Amino acid sequence: MQTKYIPRHSRRVYVRRKVCRFCADKALTIDYKDFRTLKHFITERGKILPRRITGTCARHQRQLTNAIKQARIMALLPFTSGHELNG
Amino acid sequence: MKLRYYETFYLLHPDLTEEDRAAISEKLQRIVMDRGGQIVEISPWPLQKLAYRVKKQTQGYYVLMQYGAPPDVISDLTTTMRLDDRVLKFITVKKAERFDPKALAKARENPVPPESGDEEATNPVQDPETIEE
Repeated sequence: MQTKYIPRHSRRVYVRRKVCRFCADKALTIDYKDFRTLKHFITERGKILPRRITGTCARHQRQLTNAIKQARIMALLPFTSGHELNG
Repeated sequence: MKLRYYETFYLLHPDLTEEDRAAISEKLQRIVMDRGGQIVEISPWPLQKLAYRVKKQTQGYYVLMQYGAPPDVISDLTTTMRLDDRVLKFITVKKAERFDPKALAKARENPVPPESGDEEATNPVQDPETIEE
């Protein structure tokens, strides 16, 4: 992943440039069956992470959203953390 | 007849034996073939833990079936799977408008070179938005 540092005057804060994972790696496809990859794009509670956090581009975010929802239907991913198997 | 390229992914009850699972797969394949469809691949998954309970079950067997079929086969498959309570869940996805077995066979012979990057190594959410020095 590339990093670009943009220094902001008073606060010395550095912003990490986010690159869409799926654009960077063409071999990486979005598939609802591949829950191991999709897992990276949901929170602990099972919510879909917004683009501003993951850096995914608009096009891939749309595909990702669909894939996550399909994976949820198939019980590969949770809808919420409230129905976990143990506990 | 014009075929479309579909895939059906279904979840089976964990208590089924291997023969039961084979029989269900066979039954679904027959539905596709009887109507002029072609099976491309059947890939059963090993016993998998579920993300949440489905009919009180915590695990199950997933099976992926890829095939070319005329569009009206889908409703038959759907009804069959709905009526069979050994099938816990299923989803059917249209992969392409046209089913082209020749192009598929070619793609299989010359598979895409394996991915260069290590998937586990690149975690997209590991970094907070800003890093303070």
